Amino acid sequence: MSNTLHSRRQLLQLAGGGVGSLAFHSMLANAARMDPMAPKPPHFPGKAKAVISIFCYGGVSHVDTFDPKPELLRRQGEALTGKGEVVVSQGTPGGLMPSSWEFRKHGQCGMDVSTLFPHVAKHVDEIAFIRSMYTLSNDHAPALFQMNTGTVLQGHPSMGGWITYGLGSESENLPGFIVFTDHRGGPIGGAPNWGNGYMPAAFQGTQFRSTGDPIVDLKPPQDVSRERQRRWLDYLGKMNHRHLEKNPLDSELSARIASYELAYRMQVHATEAIDLNRESEATRKLYGVDQQHTQYFGRQALMAARLVERGVRFVQIYSGGGNFQESWDAHWDLKWNHETHCAETDQPLAALLQDLKGRGLLDSTLIIWHGEFGRMPISQRLDGRDHNPYGFTVWMAGGGIKGGSIIGSTDEFGFRAVENRKSVNDLHATVLHLCGLNHEKLTYPHLGRQMRLTDVSGNVMREIVS
Amino acid sequence: MLRTLAKILLAASPILAAEPLPQQALSVLRKNCLACHGAGLKSSGLDLRTREAATAGGERGPAIIPGFPERSPLYSFAAHKANPAMPPGQKLADADLETLRLWITAGAPWPAAPSTPGENEAKAALAAMENRPITAQERAFWSFKPIARPPVPQFGKTNPVDAFLAAKWQELNLKPSPQATPRALIRRAYLDLTGLAPTPAQVESFVNDKSPRAWENLVDSLLASPHYGERWGRHWLDLVRFADSGGFEYDNDRLTAWRYRDYVVRAFNDNKPIDRFIREQIAGDELDHPTTDSRLATGFLRLGVENNVKSEMTRLDELDDVVSTTSLTFLGMTLGCARCHNHKFDPIPQKDYYQIQAVFFSAKPVEFPLVEESVIDRHKADNRNIDQLQAPFKKRRSDIEKPHRDRLFEQKVNQLAPYMQLAWRTPADKRTEGQRLNARQIEKTLKIEDEEILALMSASEKAEHKAQTEAIAKLDKQRPSPYASAMTIGDHSRDALPSYFLHRGSPDNKGSLMDAGILSVAGFDNLPRIAPPPGAQSTYRRRNFAEWVASPRNPLTARVFVNRIWQRHFGEGIVATPSNFGKTGAPPTHPELLDYLSSEFIRNGWSTKAMHRLMMNSKAYRMSSDDLMDNRAIDATNRFLWRAPRQRLDAETLRDNMLALAGTLDTTVGGPAILPYIDPSLFQGSSKRTWNGVPDTDPSTWRRSLYVFNKRSIRYPLFESFDQPDMITSCARRNRSTTAPQALLLMNNNMVHLHAAHFAGRLKKEAGSDPARQVERAFSLAFGRAPVQAELASSTGFITANPQGLVDFCHAIFNMNEFAYAP
Repeated sequence: MSNTLHSRRQLLQLAGGGVGSLAFHSMLANAARMDPMAPKPPHFPGKAKAVISIFCYGGVSHVDTFDPKPELLRRQGEALTGKGEVVVSQGTPGGLMPSSWEFRKHGQCGMDVSTLFPHVAKHVDEIAFIRSMYTLSNDHAPALFQMNTGTVLQGHPSMGGWITYGLGSESENLPGFIVFTDHRGGPIGGAPNWGNGYMPAAFQGTQFRSTGDPIVDLKPPQDVSRERQRRWLDYLGKMNHRHLEKNPLDSELSARIASYELAYRMQVHATEAIDLNRESEATRKLYGVDQQHTQYFGRQALMAARLVERGVRFVQIYSGGGNFQESWDAHWDLKWNHETHCAETDQPLAALLQDLKGRGLLDSTLIIWHGEFGRMPISQRLDGRDHNPYGFTVWMAGGGIKGGSIIGSTDEFGFRAVENRKSVNDLHATVLHLCGLNHEKLTYPHLGRQMRLTDVSGNVMREIVS
Repeated sequence: MLRTLAKILLAASPILAAEPLPQQALSVLRKNCLACHGAGLKSSGLDLRTREAATAGGERGPAIIPGFPERSPLYSFAAHKANPAMPPGQKLADADLETLRLWITAGAPWPAAPSTPGENEAKAALAAMENRPITAQERAFWSFKPIARPPVPQFGKTNPVDAFLAAKWQELNLKPSPQATPRALIRRAYLDLTGLAPTPAQVESFVNDKSPRAWENLVDSLLASPHYGERWGRHWLDLVRFADSGGFEYDNDRLTAWRYRDYVVRAFNDNKPIDRFIREQIAGDELDHPTTDSRLATGFLRLGVENNVKSEMTRLDELDDVVSTTSLTFLGMTLGCARCHNHKFDPIPQKDYYQIQAVFFSAKPVEFPLVEESVIDRHKADNRNIDQLQAPFKKRRSDIEKPHRDRLFEQKVNQLAPYMQLAWRTPADKRTEGQRLNARQIEKTLKIEDEEILALMSASEKAEHKAQTEAIAKLDKQRPSPYASAMTIGDHSRDALPSYFLHRGSPDNKGSLMDAGILSVAGFDNLPRIAPPPGAQSTYRRRNFAEWVASPRNPLTARVFVNRIWQRHFGEGIVATPSNFGKTGAPPTHPELLDYLSSEFIRNGWSTKAMHRLMMNSKAYRMSSDDLMDNRAIDATNRFLWRAPRQRLDAETLRDNMLALAGTLDTTVGGPAILPYIDPSLFQGSSKRTWNGVPDTDPSTWRRSLYVFNKRSIRYPLFESFDQPDMITSCARRNRSTTAPQALLLMNNNMVHLHAAHFAGRLKKEAGSDPARQVERAFSLAFGRAPVQAELASSTGFITANPQGLVDFCHAIFNMNEFAYAP
């Protein structure tokens, strides 16, 4: 096995020899084809080396968490008027509905946080809050696609795909883009939310499970021992190298040989990466792994920290899955819904911030907390709130973020973002910027166009960049 | 303030003499902005005609913040300091920008006398924007020129393909590779034309066939195989983004989509002339003599994703999918780029987009019944009958529930927030607007569960209630099962629905009424104009469009199709961007050859099989695929085809050949799709999405990959991992990536292990228990050749080294590079 190609770098050198049949593709696409995950230099130095996206699927009510609106109490039961057309996704809009939770000011920055997020509230000085987000659809699937891929239409590469396309991954033994779904199910729209769209399959998110083997087909059937598998690989390698002798310069054939060795190593490394028994009991407790309600999200958050520590570029965790009350989609009984989902995630989120800091990784890891839209200030089905794409809150922390920033605002009801409005394209432009990528230059050719994550717009939110 | 003013006066003084600053600013706006943000259009909701409207702004917030140019989008967009840069596609002169900056700094004062353009002026400016002339030079671009029939270069008595290629080899000093061995050739031809490798008997018979027509005969026999249509139909399905579900939130299953898939397979097997194939898919219902097949073909127009939200915008998105896919697939043109503006690179006016959109605007989905009318009538009558029988039971059930329902309702209202209760109790005519909304919400959405009602009922009520429910359910079971039908297209009526030019692609910015049209740069004299015959219920716009697309005078259609065939046989197209024959596409490497083939294609009645013969009977197709070092130095990427390509098996072919080797493959052609097992952790529940996978051990799942149900949100992992396209947009050329997850899948997946075990069983049966015989048989089955001594030695050594050696050996074959590539 002495001539086995082991490292990405060796492979890339080989690729650099000029083999390939895609002369018409851009240089980037060509290199990507040979070793898609090889680390690539950013466009300019960026603080964030890794990104963790916390996707609160279903849509979080901003007016009950990070955007207090006393006007809702003062004018409870009144119609929402004077702010333009009120379009609801599921009919029968009610009057203004006050929040059931109290808000208090926290930290040096004086950020208002409701009692739903007591742990996160302790970290507000490390977080930048954007209270003036808006998106383009009030329907889950298009809004999810918009948040993940930059457009409401299905079939475009997701943010994790774009970032690994732009930067590759530091980890040689793990996928560069990993996704954890909620134990109750995946989000609406399914796998296209972390799909590669028109890019090669290498840029799709790999789904990790938080119990058992992390990846489907990671391990061979039970009766295949590690020794048996090694023998098998050695035999396969021997035959493949003999086949390679006829065309030794074909880097695709070499890459395919190397992919088996990488897969073999991944079996060990992926298991190790999410083995929480290697963490101290204190750390596990910090994330709430020991408690019933926090254990699922807590395990995933701690795994995300471990994956980032091992060089994985992009991790996405879905909080909420399936439908309605299983997710943040509180069309009725908002109180039960948000108390449940906040309690599941609050402590682990705070733990993630604290733990990454302890590991010296917070400065280089960007955390984005978001849903696909916010929720309405008016009632729906008596005690719930409908989807609101016109205004909502997103927060970011770590990797190049100026902590304690609070930007933008919604109107007095929290209905529409009015001041310093930020689009999803702006958010993506900012995330790419923090990773050292220029969102206008990170392009991929498709159907005659140079496609971008930010489509044709997007401005970096410089005011929250440190 | 004084200082600022002084600065403005100073800076502006040279032009101030001519016109005051407000007037100057207004004329900059009028010249550059008001066509889209004024009387005619209010793009993104912005109107710049008055100070009030401009400071109120549009979707992106206020356009002008008086006093602060840098914070005013009007200025920052115009100065290209922020996105979107405005006006689209150009930048203001520096002097104009400076005018705007100073004017906003000064507080953006509007001139006392309004001098903004009036309605008529704005409309005229708008109408002018719809026209984009095409120059003679643009028409002279290679792909828009009529297809010529260039003379074949003279290189002895050769196949024309070889003659054209040889001319280039000579020019570039390339040496054509020697012919491949018969063993390599038969494997190549089988995989290429049927997607299945030849059996050992087929290989030996070809190798021993000394007839001079052995190769031609082989090609003919493969073209006659029913598996030819499966293989080449699959290529077509990539282009038309075929799937068995609708995508977006619900991703509803399309249980009859397979009928279109089978139509395509049939069309290729029957060598349906491609001009007919095109007419059927665009206008199969409007042909002179529509057939069941021609109607099934229109399913093409319904294969796109379907948003569960129904709005004007989502309807336009669906039409965009149809317009884009149609132009990519048949014309190799990126017409979708002209939805919001004139095409940036190609001479495609935005108007062409909307005139072609008008072709499809009047279309509507039709569930075309595949049974006699009497069956349908009976079906309807049966259902009506059951509805009637159920009615009394439903009435009685609701009567039993009523008193309890009313009481529960009252109780629940009493538990609502006080302001909600108040809204409910306030008399309807005295309610405020908010109370009216809340009262309606209570009336419509206060939820009472069946269990809550049942809990309140007496034993006898419960029993009677249950009896009604059971009677209703029993009747439901007697409903007739749905009759066979297909997803097709028709028009709303003989008269076209009005559709419009949309400025910036926005339905809020309607321009002129659009007539149906074509891609004007590819037009020709005497375009077809077929009027709807008497009694026709459709506009015949699609028919006329189809006649233009499928015309031998269309410069694009034949070229694009022939290039697609070439691409599959030779690894890359003569035009390497097979769905982009425009300026940003790759130029043809052999333009004369492409024209020769296209004219030949038309001359042969648009026969696909004749084209396969012409290409495959060339010597070029039969060259070895191995590298020649001297040639690599000149053309490392083999763009000029001095060797055959090394083609990797695509996702479906990989699976099919594993099953074929295992002896498990069920080669039945056609029929409803199958759902093989997918690990539930990959799709667990969300919004009606389910996958009722059948275990891998069930032989009903051992069909060819073409028949695996293609669900847009739940992809079959093996296919997804090996770059099967996502079936959202048209795919002309699959990606070919090499990743560790691919290796993991082939190393560890249960289905792969299962068929490896079947393969081992087959070897034992066919070769006995001697490992050497087993290896020889395996090589013969998998690679169509005998193992060399070293291979035999290491393989038998591997088999005998451990008890599971034979299964592991079979599993290794599935993973070998020699298995994964056509020779």
